[in-house]
Amino acid sequence: MSKESRMKATVNQKLTEMGERERLKELLRAKLTECGWKDQMKAHCKEVIKEKGLEQITVEDLVVEVTPKGRALVPDSVKKELLHRIRTFLSQHGT
Amino acid sequence: MSPAGCPHVSSFKVDNWKQNLRVIYQCFVWSGSAETRKRKAKSCICHMCGAHLNRLHSCLYCVFFACFAKKHIHEHAKSKRHNLAIDLLYGGIYCFMCQDYIYDKDMEQIAKEEQRKAWKMQGMPHYTLDGIPHPRCPPTGTGEKYSTWEPTKRELELLRHNPKRRRITSNCTIGLRGLINLGNTCFMNCIVQALTHTPLLRDFFLSDRHKCEMQSNSCLVCEMSQLFQEFYSGHRSPHIPFRLLHLVWTHARHLAGYEQQDAHEFLIAALDVLHRHCKDDNGKKANNPNHCNCIIDQIFTGGLQSDVTCQVCHGVSTTIDPFWDISLDLPGSSTPFWPLSPGGDGSALNGESHATGATTLTDCLRRFTRPEHLGSSAKIKCSGCHSYQESTKQLTMKKLPIVACFHLKRFEHSAKLRRKITTYVSFPLELDMTPFMASSKESRMNGQYQLAVDPFNNDNKYSLFAVVNHQGTLESGHYTTFIRQHKDQWFKCDDAIITKASIKDVLDSEG
Repeated sequence: MSKESRMKATVNQKLTEMGERERLKELLRAKLTECGWKDQMKAHCKEVIKEKGLEQITVEDLVVEVTPKGRALVPDSVKKELLHRIRTFLSQHGT
Repeated sequence: MSPAGCPHVSSFKVDNWKQNLRVIYQCFVWSGSAETRKRKAKSCICHMCGAHLNRLHSCLYCVFFACFAKKHIHEHAKSKRHNLAIDLLYGGIYCFMCQDYIYDKDMEQIAKEEQRKAWKMQGMPHYTLDGIPHPRCPPTGTGEKYSTWEPTKRELELLRHNPKRRRITSNCTIGLRGLINLGNTCFMNCIVQALTHTPLLRDFFLSDRHKCEMQSNSCLVCEMSQLFQEFYSGHRSPHIPFRLLHLVWTHARHLAGYEQQDAHEFLIAALDVLHRHCKDDNGKKANNPNHCNCIIDQIFTGGLQSDVTCQVCHGVSTTIDPFWDISLDLPGSSTPFWPLSPGGDGSALNGESHATGATTLTDCLRRFTRPEHLGSSAKIKCSGCHSYQESTKQLTMKKLPIVACFHLKRFEHSAKLRRKITTYVSFPLELDMTPFMASSKESRMNGQYQLAVDPFNNDNKYSLFAVVNHQGTLESGHYTTFIRQHKDQWFKCDDAIITKASIKDVLDSEG
C-alpha cells in the first residue's frame, strides 16, 4: 500500500472510531439536500430508469450512470466546508 | 424487485440466521457503541487489497470483506459459491446469482431495527465545530433518524379514493389566509399569522403530532391544530377564529373582553397555555418547567444567563432563566439608553450601517447585554465576602431558542406617563447572535478581543420570517403582520386582507 493510501486508512480509522465519520456523513447529507443536489440526483435517476426500463434496471446500472454526474455537481462550498471540518477534527485529535 | 427477496436467499435463512445478520449490522454497518466503532474501524478493509473506500461489502456466509467496485467480492463469491453479500455503507443485500440488490421483507425489518438502535445510541445531535453536541435538537427528538414514509393499507385506500393532488409551486399561496376581526381582535390575529407561518410549528401540526389527552373540548393545542388545517386547506376566504378567541378568553382571563389588548401579552399567554396543554401530551405532567419537552419549549424556549459580579471580591453569581421572548428597551423611553458609539462588533457583523443615525436592533441587544451597575441602593448580599456590596449585573444568552421573538417595548406605562415610543428601529434580514452569547462574553473576558467569526458556523444565525407592527397610539391602534413565505416572498396580513409586500416594505416598517 502506498504512503497515501496508508494515510487515508489511518484518517478513516480515526474518524470512524470517534464517531466523527457518521456525524460528517449526516452533515454532508443535510448540506446536499439544502443545496438541491439530492433533488437533482433523484431527477437524473428517474431519467436513467426511464431510458433503461423499469424491469431491466439494476442498482449497478444506476450507480455507473449517476456517479460521475453526482461527483461533478457537488458545490465547491460544500467540499470546502467538509474539508474544513475534517482538518479541524484532525488537528484537535492529533494523528 | 419485490420485497419477497429472491430464491437464493432461502439457503441463507437457516439456523440462527436472524441473530447472525443482526450482529453483522451492529458491528459493521451501523456501529452504535464505541466498542463496535473501534472494531469496525480496524477490521473493515478489503481482504484482498486493503482499501476501505471502494464500496466495501461483507460476505454473508463467512468473514470476508472486499471491495465491490474492484470486483474483489465477486471473485470471492464465485470461488466460494457464497452468493450473498451485504453493503457496509447502506446495508443492502446483494445476490450474485440475481446480479442485483434484493429486498427481502424479513431482512429489511432487521435492517431497519438495527439502524434505529444505532441511531439512538449515537444520539446524533446537530454538528458543532468543537464536537460538543448542540443543545438544540430537531423536533423529531434526539436520536431519531428520518425515515421515509411508507403508506399503510388504509392510507393507500384513502389516497386512491381522493385522487385530487395539490402541487406546491413557487408562487402558490397555500398557507395564506385572512382572519376576520371579531372586535379589536387584531392583537390576536397578528400573532396567529406569525405562528401559522413558523415553519417548525407548522410542520409539527401538519404532521398530526399532537395526541390530545384532555377530556373536554378546551384544548388549545387541538384548536391550533384545527387552525393549521384551516390555513393550509387551500380556501381563500378569510377564516373566522371565534373558537380560538373563546378558548383564549377561557384560559387567559386577563385577555378577555373586547377592548384593545397587547399583542405581546397575547403571544406570551398563548405560548403559556399551549405549553401547559402540551405537557399533558408527553405523559410527563412534570412540575419542573425546565424539563418540559413539548414542542413549544423545543422551539421557543431559550436560556438567559444573569451574572451578578460583586465589586469587592469579584465573585460571580450566575443564574439561568428560561425565556420565550427578549423584551428590549428603546431610546426615548424614560429608562436611559446609553449613547453607544456606532459600529462595534455587533453592527458590523450584521451588516448594518449607522449612516442614517437610526437605532438598530443590535444596538438594543447590546444595551440589553451590557454590564449594569446596580447602585448603592441595591446592594446584593455576596456569598463570597459575606456582606452587602455593590455589584454589576450582566445578561447574556446562554441558550438560543430555535425561534427568537424580539419585543420592542414601545408602550410606556410609567408612573408619569403612558405613551407609545415610535422611534424607528432598523432590523436586519439576517441576525447573528454570537456577540450576545454567554460564551462570547467569556472569551472576551479571557482577553480574546478579536471575535474569530467563523463563516461556516451557522448555529447562532437567525433569518427573519415575521414582523408584527402597531399603528396608532396607545389608546387606539391597529396591528398588522408581515410574514415570509417560500424563503423570499413577503406578505402583509391586515386582518382579513392579505397583500403581497416587498422586502423594503418589511425592513422600513417600524417593528
